[in-house]
Parts: sequence; C-alpha cells; structure tokens
Amino acid sequence: MANTALGTGGNLMLALKTRMQWHQTRQKVLAENVANADSPGFRPMDIKQPPIGAAGQASVGLVQTSAGHMDLAGRLGTFDSARAQRFETTPNGNAVNLEDEMTKVAQNQSDYQLAASLYSKGLGLMKIAIGKGR
Amino acid sequence: MDLLKSISVATSGLRSQSGRMRVIAENMANADSGPERAGADPYRRKIPTFQRRFDRELEAQVVDMGRVQRDNSAFKTKFEPGNPTADASGNVKMPNVNSLIETMDMREAQRSYEANLNLISSTRRMIQRTIDILRA
Repeated sequence: MANTALGTGGNLMLALKTRMQWHQTRQKVLAENVANADSPGFRPMDIKQPPIGAAGQASVGLVQTSAGHMDLAGRLGTFDSARAQRFETTPNGNAVNLEDEMTKVAQNQSDYQLAASLYSKGLGLMKIAIGKGR
Repeated sequence: MDLLKSISVATSGLRSQSGRMRVIAENMANADSGPERAGADPYRRKIPTFQRRFDRELEAQVVDMGRVQRDNSAFKTKFEPGNPTADASGNVKMPNVNSLIETMDMREAQRSYEANLNLISSTRRMIQRTIDILRA
C-alpha cells in the first residue's frame, strides 16, 4: 500500500517534470518565432502536446524489451514540433503574427508557473510525510 | 537548459532589430544630405536585411543582420537655382529617403524589439519560479 502511494507521488512528480520540460521547449520555439518576426519566408512553429501514457503519466519513452536494457528514466524529454496555425502571411512570406505569439508566451509562462507551484506543493507533501513539514 | 537558450534566441532578435534601427537612423539623419558637388549623387537610402541562421549550439533558428542593401530608386529633385550643386536647369538631386516610410519602419522595429524584451522578461520569471522550488 505504502509502495503504491509512493509510486503515485513519483508519477505525479515525473508528470510535472515532463510538463515543465515541455513548457521550456515551447518557450524556446516561441522565442524563435518572435526573433524571426521580420525574417522573410519564416513560418512559425509550435510543439505538440506530450502524449498521455496509459498510466496517466505524461512521458514519451522507449519500451524496454529486455531486463538487461539500460533504463532511460533520467532522459530529457524531446517533443515533436509542428507547424503553428497560420493567420496571415505578409508579402515577403513571413507568417508570424506577433500578437498571437505574445499570447502564447503569456499562456506558456502561467502554465509553467502552475506546474512549478504544483511541484513545490508535491515536495511539501513529501516533507510532511518525512516529518519536516512544519 | 532550454530557458537560457530562449533568452539567447530573443537576444539575437534584439541585436538585429537594434541594427535595423541604426540603419533607419542613418537614413533619417541623411534625409537632406544633398550632393557634395555639382554632378555628384546625394545620399542613397540604405535598406537593412535580415537572414535566419540555424545555430547548432542553441539548436534553434536565430536571426542575424544581413548585408545592408542600397535603395536603387530614383532620387528626388528640388528646384533651387541658387544652390552651388544645382545642374544647368537649376535642379538639385536630393536623397531618395521618404521620412514617412522611415517612421513606419522605425515603429515596426520598435514593436519587434519590445516583443523580444517581453519574451526575455517572461522567461526570466519562469527561471525565477524554478529557483523558488528550492525554497519551498
């Protein structure tokens, strides 16, 4: 029972970690879009949402087919990029809409802060469990 | 760390927008720079260009200032017979700078610069939140 509870906590932290990595990658992609807001022929990019695993755990991983294979638990998440939805294209072929990008940046930031707050709450719960929560 | 890379990408945007601003300032300052002597050309308008480059270290497309091109459109002329640089019919060639176009370009550069600055401050807040996890 205790084992399961710990597993849940671990899964929660892992999911939040993946989420935070996803937001960091997205911030980089959005930075590229904003920096290239005046480059001719530039098409904005975005990244796909991380797929939700069967266990409700949002992580992308390789399946281990043999017990002797290396564990990849500590790997960094990589996310697929996708073409962002386009609203307008200027005559020089640039399709970046600055307002749209800034909205995405603001949303990304607040979602990241949510994940970071949940992560520190999770840490607080663990501290309570080991008796140093006060 | 991706957040620091975001800041570097946005910095490349800041750098090229400020370079663009420099070229615009040059055009604006020289809007009335006529020819040095009779028969010579006046100041020719400059056009800043951007080019994107894939930075292998940042694993992202950054933007750089490209070569500054010359605007080859026709010069304006001004009828001023008393001017020492005027031609036989009394016309003086003036730079092909239109201050309205320069002002619009300047606004665009300013907006793009602000967008990059906003991105940097947003990223900095995200980094701050990450550090706050340690204090929890």
